[in-house]
Amino acid sequence: MNASAEPSPDTLATLVKILAGFNKTGTELKPETRFTEDLNFDSLVVMEFVAVVEDDFDISVPLNILPDVATVKDLALAIDKILKDDGR
Amino acid sequence: MANLFDRWAPLMAQRDALFGDGINPFNVVMDEVLSQTEATIGGRHTILVGTNNYLGLTFQPEALKAAHDALDACGTGTTGSRMANGTYYGHKDLETALCDFFQKKHAMVFSTGFLANMGILSTLMGPEDFILMDADCHASIYDGVRGSSAQVIRFKHNDPADLDKRLARLADKPGNKLIVVEGIYSMLGDKAPMAEFAAVKRKYENVYLLSDEAHSMGVCGRYGRGVPEEAGVEDDVDFIVGTFSKSVGTVGGFCVSNLDNFDTLRLVTRAYIFTASLPPSVVASATVNLEIIKNGGVLRKRIERNSEQLHSGLAALGLKIASDVSPVVAVVAPDPVTAIAFWRGLIEAGVYVNLALPPATPFGYCLLRASICAAHTEEQLDRVIGIFADVATKLGLIDTDTQKVAARA
Repeated sequence: MNASAEPSPDTLATLVKILAGFNKTGTELKPETRFTEDLNFDSLVVMEFVAVVEDDFDISVPLNILPDVATVKDLALAIDKILKDDGR
Repeated sequence: MANLFDRWAPLMAQRDALFGDGINPFNVVMDEVLSQTEATIGGRHTILVGTNNYLGLTFQPEALKAAHDALDACGTGTTGSRMANGTYYGHKDLETALCDFFQKKHAMVFSTGFLANMGILSTLMGPEDFILMDADCHASIYDGVRGSSAQVIRFKHNDPADLDKRLARLADKPGNKLIVVEGIYSMLGDKAPMAEFAAVKRKYENVYLLSDEAHSMGVCGRYGRGVPEEAGVEDDVDFIVGTFSKSVGTVGGFCVSNLDNFDTLRLVTRAYIFTASLPPSVVASATVNLEIIKNGGVLRKRIERNSEQLHSGLAALGLKIASDVSPVVAVVAPDPVTAIAFWRGLIEAGVYVNLALPPATPFGYCLLRASICAAHTEEQLDRVIGIFADVATKLGLIDTDTQKVAARA
């Protein structure tokens, strides 16, 4: 992921709102929060979470990008890119 | 420098903590194979209820004879790939038999079912394409799509509406789309709503459907062609992938299709090209057993009867079964420690089932997974149910009152 780019504030805010429902560790949700290490997401939780993200943003999130997504900011940037590619 | 295996240290510590000393699923050895349904394990006579040998064809006399004849005629192995020196007349005969069995124009035989999924799924779709897979698909499907240049999207397990929603999002994208499902899912034995999936597929352009019939071939459908046959939607299923290591009673994998130019895949599928072909004896026994399966209505009736007996017998004890009646009867244990104690109690009393723990299972279930064989007798399954009752009672999972009710029922 491009470390210098910043995700859209709207994307980030929506993502944090969705994540709140999956945050079982009580970790404060920040752009640099990591899914595996900080939120203890396992593969099953990732799957459910990605499905909600897809429905909320009305986009397709391919499995292929997930290995490059470690933090909330990474995912927000990936979503921005998908929205842009879709011409939105 | 860090030890090469250190990154798995937490996993190994977890294994040691859970299993300790003594018998565990990683050190089960069949010392003597007595029949399709019985073996000696650790010196103990054991009823096998976790072999995926659904039709019990591993000792089918005609298949044994064909294998012996092929062994004498062609030797112990081909020592080559299908593309080089490893295609014998037997491999071509088997592909013809598969076309006849599934009533499809084309068939490709792979060396295992895992390789069939790996090969087909990593090759079929290109960079502009999309693969939409059921979230509960087998590891070989996950590994296959990981090798694909297509974009991979998961939909909710057995949920045609969820698939529909995801296909709708892709409707304006130019690439081809491949839906990947399984007929029966291995862990819980739950069946795909194939007719509904086919209906969703028909709504969109450039969409193909692939079904892995590993656990349903030979079991479902009047002629054993699996869930697409049973659901009456065989023409909508563009690719069937399967294995010879379950109902067919040997080892190997295949893909069949009616699509023109399917044979192109023989030139581009690395898991087909760069691995040795099946030994002639294996190929010969698979060919013979396909014929038995096609005419195996009696065997399918026995599976149905046996599934019903084990499912209702275990449910009557008060045990939780993960899905409706099917050839897979998966008992849900409350946690990994109890599941392991349960599994150990069973094997020490002479019953072998599969132990399946997360992340290999859906819903984080801890499972004692039994699979039915047509060759199981009523007496064997009664004995299995009795042993389940004893072990579950000792573990405090069921109370004796429930058992008394079950005995009266």
